[in-house]
Amino acid sequence: MKRQGPQREIQPQPPPEYSVAYASHDVRLSWREWIVAAALVGAVLGLLPGQWERRERFQPGEDYRIPYELGNDYWLFGRYGRLACSQNKTLVIGDSVIWGHYVTKEHTLSHYLNAFTGEQRFANLGVDGIHPAALAGLLEYYGRGISNSRVILHCNPLWMASPEHDLQQAGKDFRLNHPALLPQLVGSPGCYTAPYSDRLGTCVERVAPFRNWARHLRAAYFENADLPEWTVRHPYDSPIQAVRRGLPSPGSRAQGSHLSWQARGIVEHDFPWVRLPTSLQWKSFQRAVRILRARGNRVFVLVGPFNEHMLEKASLATYTNRKGEIQDWLRQNDIPHYVPPALPSQYCADASHPLSEGYALLAAELLEQKSFIRFDTRPAGRRRPPPASAR
Amino acid sequence: MLFHTWIFVVFFLLAYPVYLAVKATRWREPWLLLASYVFYAWWNPLYLLLIARCTLMDYLAVLLMARSQSRWLKRLWLSLSIAANLAVLGLFKYAGFVTDNLNALLAWLGASYALPAPGVLLPVGISFYTFQSMSYTIDYYRDQIQKEPNLIRYATFVALFPQLVAGPIERAANLLPQLRRPQRISRDDLTDGLSLFVVGLFKKLALADYLALYVDKVYDAPAQYQAPALILASFAFGWQIYFDFSGYTDMARGIGRMMGFRLMLNFNNPYLATGLGDFWKRWHISLSTWFRDYVYIPLGGNRAGSFNTYRNMVLTMLICGLWHGAAWTFVVWGALHALGRVLTRRLESTAFYRQKVPRPVKQALVFAFVTFAWIFFRANSIGDAWLIVGRIFSGRWADPAFPLLALGLVACVWAYQHMHESGARRVLRLAPVRVGIVVFMILYLAVVAGGGAQPFIYFQF
Repeated sequence: MKRQGPQREIQPQPPPEYSVAYASHDVRLSWREWIVAAALVGAVLGLLPGQWERRERFQPGEDYRIPYELGNDYWLFGRYGRLACSQNKTLVIGDSVIWGHYVTKEHTLSHYLNAFTGEQRFANLGVDGIHPAALAGLLEYYGRGISNSRVILHCNPLWMASPEHDLQQAGKDFRLNHPALLPQLVGSPGCYTAPYSDRLGTCVERVAPFRNWARHLRAAYFENADLPEWTVRHPYDSPIQAVRRGLPSPGSRAQGSHLSWQARGIVEHDFPWVRLPTSLQWKSFQRAVRILRARGNRVFVLVGPFNEHMLEKASLATYTNRKGEIQDWLRQNDIPHYVPPALPSQYCADASHPLSEGYALLAAELLEQKSFIRFDTRPAGRRRPPPASAR
Repeated sequence: MLFHTWIFVVFFLLAYPVYLAVKATRWREPWLLLASYVFYAWWNPLYLLLIARCTLMDYLAVLLMARSQSRWLKRLWLSLSIAANLAVLGLFKYAGFVTDNLNALLAWLGASYALPAPGVLLPVGISFYTFQSMSYTIDYYRDQIQKEPNLIRYATFVALFPQLVAGPIERAANLLPQLRRPQRISRDDLTDGLSLFVVGLFKKLALADYLALYVDKVYDAPAQYQAPALILASFAFGWQIYFDFSGYTDMARGIGRMMGFRLMLNFNNPYLATGLGDFWKRWHISLSTWFRDYVYIPLGGNRAGSFNTYRNMVLTMLICGLWHGAAWTFVVWGALHALGRVLTRRLESTAFYRQKVPRPVKQALVFAFVTFAWIFFRANSIGDAWLIVGRIFSGRWADPAFPLLALGLVACVWAYQHMHESGARRVLRLAPVRVGIVVFMILYLAVVAGGGAQPFIYFQF
């Protein structure tokens, strides 16, 4: 049969399935109900972290340090920081050198500072593996409560010892610590290759306190796993019971055996030090100092000690140069600091970690430094401009 | 780009306001097309070539059909279009499967030669948009729809991002008219769309991804588990795939609704089905109706006697199985459903089955059968599937270690679905109940659910 033309007037007939209602459930809110739901969700998420902080038992005793397994619990770091500030303690902030990787909590730098001064005045806020780029992020996003206090900030030159340490390149066994604390969208290091979706999620976590609090719950009570994952590991355990058990005990144990670097079989090494002007870690360290000072903290920088016995001759010369450059910057910016001489070889566990005798010696030396005494005795707080009458 | 990732949130927050601004102008379709192509290209920009080929070829086929005066010429253009679509689908989806099987055959015959592996990656969503585009040419050939003269609009119909990669497989008769008429987005469209999206997100992140933890553990090493764990993992997979796929569909429909489109319902509480025929009217409705309209009925449907009806059902189910994936496990899954339909078709129509067998018994039987078939769908190989079936029927006991919380969540959903299809539905319609459910879901997602972005199961098809 011949048709009259190419265009046909046919009314589309949708299949009968299209007449099926909205969905196979009744979860359908009007705009008024959405407002109520949003208000309820907002109230719960806004109030819960604060209420939780009030109810969760957290009594850091002497020489407390954040448990090793809670190294990613930045909510706890913020809470401990705020608590220590409120007790007028001097915060000792840094990586595993401050945390005390090879020693128990009774042999860390902060312990010896407390012991030699006879008071519990120094709080160990070390976090394992926190390189300067991550430390700056930790202070910026989760350390807002640390203000108007005295802070001893540790500068570990190890993080500038090679392009890999400096996050410029990723080697075979490279493992990026604390990626959630790095710049996510602009200025992130080249070796950080997380998908953009994950990076955006991290940015959301920084501005939404409940996300950070949820991370705390995972870290503190569910073995750093999501609740679903934890229940697969412990199918018959009650999550409520897990929460009732309370926070893990402070990191009492050492994470490595108490042996000198030579006893471990480590040999002399030639580190390919990076140049400071191009070093991401050095720039990040400078940023960390600026963040702390902007919040009214008095900052004292402890550079090293580095195990110079482990360095080959050429490497030692370069390290000495870098140390000098760091010192110059600190001087130029009027930042009190101490660059200790190398510890005795037998007191070093590896390139940067002292053993307990090393910490004791370091604490004793530090307390004798004039710059430190001045730092330790002056009150901290935001410098206020002198009153008009005094000008 | 997955709906449950932050990158999609950013994409939508950029695309949606512009869409609202241009929805009443001639820039609506170009903008939708651009957004859809960006969405798709996020996986791999080269995939755009495939979707553009599919679009252009089918658009051209219909143009040529419209200009053809004779029926046989129209049939020729349709056949060429279908052949080209199936050839591309076959190349990308089945080339590896065919090569593997030919190599196995050659090895069995003692040949020293082996065909090289084709090494092509399966582009995400190719089965979905190819079927959607094919339905346009076939419906036009059947005089069921009008020709779409606007290429941009047709390309938007094929690539509309909410349903591009995993359906629902829309028909031109439903979606093209919505693209043609001026879009009006009411307040209800926004709130309904948001409600659908939240439900879908909860199904995916809170339920499907949770069950996947157990299912993957057991199915990736089935030899380490005994009957209880294998049975529970199989049931869990039944729920996982339902939550995963219907969650995706809910999100797709929700986004579509927020943009003023009404996409078809794809799942209607399938595990409450009282027969296998009923199950396929509730499960992946857009695909089952596609196969009904374009495979089963053209084969003759039920018009030519019992034998031909059963033959057509078996063929349709086998093709449906193969559509899901290029592996023998999917063929066996399709064959099992075909067998089930053949065996129960007559029974389901008897007065005894309809009136005497209690509804919960029928539901339980269907659910058990469907779950049994899922074993072949999920198993990593036919060997694994037989191992799992053998162990299930060996009856050896070992603690399954199934998380009680997951069991509780699934039980809640099942109870909800039962209430939804019973007289208790009015309770679910009470405002405090609905608001309470939404608040619970959002809080669960914010605080409890896992943070990973697992891909959807159906993306691989």
